[in-house]
Amino acid sequence: VEWNASLWGSRRAFTEHVEKLAEIVNEKSGGDFTINISYGGLSKNTENLDGISIGAFEMAQFCAGYHRDKNPTITVLELPFLGVKTLEEEVAVSNAVYSHPAVVDDLARWNAKLLMPTPMPQYNIVGTGEPLDKLEQFKGMRVRATGGIGEAFRTVGAVPTSVTATEAYQAMESGVVDTVSFAQHAHLSFRTIDEADWWTENLNPGTLNCPVVVNTDAYATLSDEHRQILDDSVSEAIDFYLENYGKLLDRWEEVLAEKEVQKVTISDEELAEFRRIGGEPIQLSWIEDMSAVGLPARELYELVQQTLEETRAK
Amino acid sequence: MTSIEIGLWVSGLLVALVFLGMRVGFAAAFAGLVGLVWIFWSKRGYDPAMFGWALGVAVKTAGQVPHGKVASQALSLIPTFILIGYLAYYAGLTQALFEAAKRWFGWLPGGLAVSTVFATAGFAAVSGASVATAAVFARIAIPEMLRSGYDKRFAAGVVAAGGTLASLIPPSAILVIYAIIVEQDVGKLLLAGFVPGLFSALVYGGLIVGLAVVLKTIGPPVRGFTWGQRFAALPPALPILAVVVIIVFFVYNPFGGDAWGTPTEGGALGAFIVFLMALFRGMRWKELKSALLETAKLAVMIFTIIWGVLIYVRFLGFADLPGAFSDWITSLEQSPLLTLVLILLAYAVLGMFMDAIGMLLLTLPVVYPAVMALNGGEFVSAEDSAFGMSGPMCAIWFGILVVKMAEFCLITPPIGLNCFVVAGVRDDLTVQDVFRGVTPFFIADAITIALLVTFPSIVLWLPSLA
Amino acid sequence: MAGSASVIEDGSRLSRLDQMLLRVERALALVSGLAVFMIMVFAVVSVSGRNFFNAPVPGYVDWIEQLMPFIAILGISYTQRDGTHIRMDMIVGALRGRALWAAEAITVFVMLVLMVLLIWGTWAHFQRSFDFAAPLWSRDSSIDIALPLWPAKLAVPLAFSVLALRLLIQLWGYSRACWLGLYHPAAVPLIRSTAQIAAEEANAIGQERSR
Ligand code: NA
Ligand code: NA
Repeated sequence: VEWNASLWGSRRAFTEHVEKLAEIVNEKSGGDFTINISYGGLSKNTENLDGISIGAFEMAQFCAGYHRDKNPTITVLELPFLGVKTLEEEVAVSNAVYSHPAVVDDLARWNAKLLMPTPMPQYNIVGTGEPLDKLEQFKGMRVRATGGIGEAFRTVGAVPTSVTATEAYQAMESGVVDTVSFAQHAHLSFRTIDEADWWTENLNPGTLNCPVVVNTDAYATLSDEHRQILDDSVSEAIDFYLENYGKLLDRWEEVLAEKEVQKVTISDEELAEFRRIGGEPIQLSWIEDMSAVGLPARELYELVQQTLEETRAK
Repeated sequence: MTSIEIGLWVSGLLVALVFLGMRVGFAAAFAGLVGLVWIFWSKRGYDPAMFGWALGVAVKTAGQVPHGKVASQALSLIPTFILIGYLAYYAGLTQALFEAAKRWFGWLPGGLAVSTVFATAGFAAVSGASVATAAVFARIAIPEMLRSGYDKRFAAGVVAAGGTLASLIPPSAILVIYAIIVEQDVGKLLLAGFVPGLFSALVYGGLIVGLAVVLKTIGPPVRGFTWGQRFAALPPALPILAVVVIIVFFVYNPFGGDAWGTPTEGGALGAFIVFLMALFRGMRWKELKSALLETAKLAVMIFTIIWGVLIYVRFLGFADLPGAFSDWITSLEQSPLLTLVLILLAYAVLGMFMDAIGMLLLTLPVVYPAVMALNGGEFVSAEDSAFGMSGPMCAIWFGILVVKMAEFCLITPPIGLNCFVVAGVRDDLTVQDVFRGVTPFFIADAITIALLVTFPSIVLWLPSLA
Repeated sequence: MAGSASVIEDGSRLSRLDQMLLRVERALALVSGLAVFMIMVFAVVSVSGRNFFNAPVPGYVDWIEQLMPFIAILGISYTQRDGTHIRMDMIVGALRGRALWAAEAITVFVMLVLMVLLIWGTWAHFQRSFDFAAPLWSRDSSIDIALPLWPAKLAVPLAFSVLALRLLIQLWGYSRACWLGLYHPAAVPLIRSTAQIAAEEANAIGQERSR
């Protein structure tokens, strides 16, 4: 059996679990089951779900925030200030949401089955000039942030600005934006860190959720043995991803030191205030909007909170 | 049959369709669609019962491309830069530039042709699209050269070649596309185009003077302008400076402060300024409407090739031809410089059959990483590198080389877009005429490329200041 | 000739159909041109909004990406009507009479087959983004301000359908010319003679002088 997996960009920390999964599956099946990974050759990143739905390829990665209306249920994981702190917690809440029946149905519209998450750290911001550590300083700040995170910044008077990831560096250099919100690997690969004077280490406004899915028909027609191999390899692939991203975070610390980027710590009072203005109201209006179209929004939201508590209790 | 063999067969089909006179964008899309059906059907062992399935998947996969691929902010530079070109025509900028160039350089042997080259270089500073530049100068420079007794093929060749300068001298749509594909700093790339662009113009000019001295078939010099007339011709062309400043400041602030915005905004603002100038010069709805229709027509013509080629590229992705190429390049055991030269030669051959933008879109995802690896990787320092330059500098250098190759392919047969456009504007010329007239400029381009490869500092000097 | 050529208009039914369709095509192309103009205006508003009022246009990139398919595709049939889509004409250009019309008819037929398939494919692409039951009928939205994508996706099969009609007219025109052995068939792009072009050019220059 030969599967195609549609990813984009280039091989990076963000794709290491898929690379690892392909490696393990190939190994365990003695070469009978291979997964060919293509970086952008099979589809555009925002159309990977379309490709899965058509059956053009069997596996793909995408981000929920790229197209809210395609996958409304999993955007719960991109709400601002959910309170997720570690990559392990991100894995736990993602898996819990992915197995909720409403989410399964949502993705089934695309002939897709959620296989595993791509845990990413919080989208903290980098900026130039004087570090911002008070909410009132955010007023008028032009920030490159999308979706719910952008909305959260808007509530404290910042101006979310449309800039593509690839234009982020140029936009920062030219002053089109003052700050950019990314995960660490993206700050590194889109070089926004090269322009930065400071980075918020604990603002933790939220993150993007980028699952890996498989085509349901292709999954169903796998032999029992191959399906078993695929299912069993997921946790190993995730473990490898976490270990690798951990190394990247170590390197991040080195880069910060090397480029003399200041770590900004925001006080608990300021953070609580931000959460009060920019977190809860957006979360509540999400629940309202999604409930209005008949989705069990409150249930999904509570599932996230409950899973977080359980993970921390362990 | 392996997918690579399918890839080769379908590429053969594409070449055949193009030679049979099918419109290029549609030929690429058709070949790509046939290839997709073939690939999907082969995955089901050519089971006759599964043909319908394969057709459906292929058609739906191809059906994603026209909308999905053109809905891109980076590509929005193409219509804006085309619009600048047409508006500049109504703003009288093309005529003003040509008139000034004629009065200053007309006395040289082959003077009108030299003037055309310098005027296209000046116009390149407000135009980001080579084909648009060729189109407007075909309207004003060719008739004047014909009146002076130039061979019509040579006159057409001068315009087709001069038009290519718009891709190197900023603003340049194609440099922006390169920057976006390889995720490099757009501003530094646009700056890097300045010197090689002027350099190319000088090489073209030198070549024309040389030809005019040797061959008498090229038109006579145009003499008799007084210094007064010469200086009088400058003010109407001056507004072009305003546009240059806007575009440069949106890319990079020479005084060390922040730039004023992104290149995409700079391009659109430049268009707006030229639009105001055209209004001032008496453009009204009738002329604006015709400029918009012409822009739409040229943009559609280019975008049809873009999405058509991208359907074909999508098929290549499924056939994994790029992957095979990448493995092959990195396994070569020879000097990196030789490999680079061979890659450039391959571009010359590919460029004979492909449109420039299509060629870059098709190849860069594969070739760029290979070239960066040849130099020693993305983060290599100048001392440890194969080409004697750091990773980011290599990205800029290779970008300029590739864009120069892309310019080259705008004038090479059988598919040289500039030559088609000139022939399209001037219906008394066939494409074959233009191709014949442009032949001397192949040599000029070959010399320029050789110098850029040998002396990278021509390219890297300006961006290394920024 | 690679570029635009002339189309003969007469009173025949085919020519009347051609001219009716041309009106639709020209309107679509003008929409495409106006969309380019809007991109320019958008940038001016965005830059001045940002620099003078600290209020950039929300979703600037999303709006540009919405406009692009209209720019890139709506004029496709207008461009085909007079034969502006580029091609290699080394072989076709050498043909005359019935052989020429037969060759043109064949490539137009292949294009028609392609377009019928792509209308199917792009319609499916539209359908996946459209849902009568959803707010704004949207099942696919843009990244930043969640604009529904279906209008831009619908524009593609629409423009392709107009092109398919255009190709039908051209197929009819070329086949008829081939069958009857015509020299100057109506409703298809023709290659003009040098004398014709010179006359038209002289006319154009005359008009410009009198302005
Ligand atoms: Na230019
Ligand atoms: Na060529």
